[in-house]
Amino acid sequence: MTEQNIYATQFSEIAGRLPGRGLAWVDRLRKTAVERFLDLGLPTTRLEDWKFTNVAPIRRLTFRPVNQVSASIPEPLRSQLDLFPSPRLVFVDGLLDRKLSGLGFGTTPPFAKERANGTPPNLGGEFLGLHMAGLSDSLADPNQAAILESHLGRYAETSDRAFAAWNTGFFADGACVMISPGTILTHPVHLVFISTGAGEPRATYPRNLILAGERSQVAVAEVFLSASGGVYLTNAVTEIVAGAGATIDYYKMECESGDGFHVATVKATLDRDASLTSHSISFGAALARNDLRVALDGEGSQCTLNGLFVVDGQRLVDNHTEIDHRKPHATSRELYKGVLAGHAQGVFNGAIIVRKDAQKTDALQRSRNLLLSENAQINTKPQLEIRADDVRCAHGATIGQIDRESMFYLKSRGLDERAARQILIRGFASEIIEGIRVSSIRQQSEIRLGEWFEGKLEAS
Amino acid sequence: MLRIRNLCASIDGKQILRGLNLDVNAGEVHAIMGPNGSGKSTFAQVLAGRDIYGVTADDLTFEGRNLLEMPAELRARNGLFLAFQYPVEIPGVSNLYFLRSAVNAVRAHRGLPELDAVDFLSVARAHAQKLDLDDAMLKRSVNQGFSGGEKKRNEILQMMMLEPRLAILDESDSGLDIDALKIVADGINAMRHPERAIILVTHYQRLLNYIAPDRVHVLIGGSIVRSGTKELALELEQRGYSWLEQPAGVEA
Repeated sequence: MTEQNIYATQFSEIAGRLPGRGLAWVDRLRKTAVERFLDLGLPTTRLEDWKFTNVAPIRRLTFRPVNQVSASIPEPLRSQLDLFPSPRLVFVDGLLDRKLSGLGFGTTPPFAKERANGTPPNLGGEFLGLHMAGLSDSLADPNQAAILESHLGRYAETSDRAFAAWNTGFFADGACVMISPGTILTHPVHLVFISTGAGEPRATYPRNLILAGERSQVAVAEVFLSASGGVYLTNAVTEIVAGAGATIDYYKMECESGDGFHVATVKATLDRDASLTSHSISFGAALARNDLRVALDGEGSQCTLNGLFVVDGQRLVDNHTEIDHRKPHATSRELYKGVLAGHAQGVFNGAIIVRKDAQKTDALQRSRNLLLSENAQINTKPQLEIRADDVRCAHGATIGQIDRESMFYLKSRGLDERAARQILIRGFASEIIEGIRVSSIRQQSEIRLGEWFEGKLEAS
Repeated sequence: MLRIRNLCASIDGKQILRGLNLDVNAGEVHAIMGPNGSGKSTFAQVLAGRDIYGVTADDLTFEGRNLLEMPAELRARNGLFLAFQYPVEIPGVSNLYFLRSAVNAVRAHRGLPELDAVDFLSVARAHAQKLDLDDAMLKRSVNQGFSGGEKKRNEILQMMMLEPRLAILDESDSGLDIDALKIVADGINAMRHPERAIILVTHYQRLLNYIAPDRVHVLIGGSIVRSGTKELALELEQRGYSWLEQPAGVEA
């Protein structure tokens, strides 16, 4: 049986209880997407976009959807959650855990009452310009559903993207974050996705929508964690919409299990003078694919895409980014850094499209990679399509090893091989990590990097 | 403290050091002088344990320990320090973090507890002040964006923090203006101690106006061709090196 048959059957089984069922636009959205997914099938390495990443391991397995919230998450993870204070939404195996989620600012459950700002309402209400709720709940609320109708599925393309189409058909929950125009949110919004990895292989389809109103400012961090290893698939789609003059600081931190699969599509659309800064921190999985696509759809809009991927063992990380300069005077800056050890594989593919009308585009892309072993591998490729003539577009890629002269310098100060390597790798990574403005994500990145040195990730 | 007999070093099949002999005792300051290409920097690097050279010696002992069997980090932990001619830039690693890691690695080897961050910072600041390095320099990435003079002073700072038994200073005077030279020389003089030896590797006599050496050696063609007192340095300043150079064919 092909994967198409398997998932066609699955869809017919679950369609009746998926959120938004009965809303004509949702039904249509799902139906179209599923048909597209079944038509496309999972990508093969014959597709240029998947040349270096073979999803055969995903094809070989059958992933069951998750029906109900897991009873509990293990204790160590619970304390780890405290590192990501509210406002936050926590999803366990793809479904919102209301007890762990809250709208209060700078607090952790059980959410002590906010001192100065009054009591935050329950999820679904608005608090200081922030409206945040689970997607499933939002679709059940007629007012919210009306807003969602004009956004959900309007940005992330599915016509030639099997995973995004699959998610659009199958999504069961996700985060709905809306920031009112002019709101400056002082606390970052955390969206935490935990995979328990228990039982037979399961798939989750987180579906997130972030709407930043005109001139608003917000930081949103998506964190993907594995509770206890295991084989599972996370197939996430996030749509980000930045209104005119909005400033979005977006983070995606991926710490999946070494047996897990992670495919995420992020699509951001920026209006006039809007600004997006993205940090993608990825520690890999059996297969991790991050697609980040930004449409600079307003004059003077700008984006900065920073990425750090750190992988060892048999892990794979594939970063595909696309920056679409659609309007004049837009600026993009991109820096992705990879650290690869063991038999790890890394991919960076950075597309920059400059449309005919996008004069005065200013785009700069850099990919820098550090190979720590002879068996590690990186494929890095810029992909430029420039149709305007008055533009500045530059790109560069480097692949290097630990510098021997630097090693000697550190050793001559008493540091052994291991310590010296760690210092140099930390130094390499710090260019990205130090740019992280949300402290939880910066700290977690440093902690994970430390664990990576200890080889804990290898064992998990 | 340091005993060298018939030290030879080569790289890529090219012989650089050819049977070098030297004895350095605790409390002494030795100057190694010589023209460009004579093997001065190779000598300094070989002593610190640079592993790109093929090294042989009848005897190469530091405080009774065979250096040939000791990797660079162990030499450092046992009290050998090299101030680099060209200090390496390490982006993304703060000078302070680097210094603290180094100091604690050396302390751990000596069975001393780690310095806590506060104690460390106050010591580092005090030394930095003596070298006219401001606080910002401690927080910046190691040597990155430092001027030539700042890099040299940063090497001296590391020496002060690590308190070596034997310090080898490779052209710590080169590229310095007169004010910076005085600061560096003061830093080195402050390190003079009956228990510590210092080897100054230098091309010019200039530094020796500020630091009086006990012995001066001339290195030419990979071996020491003449040794003397500080007056030898003055003579070299006036006469150059050519009168000491050996007949043609010896120079590599």
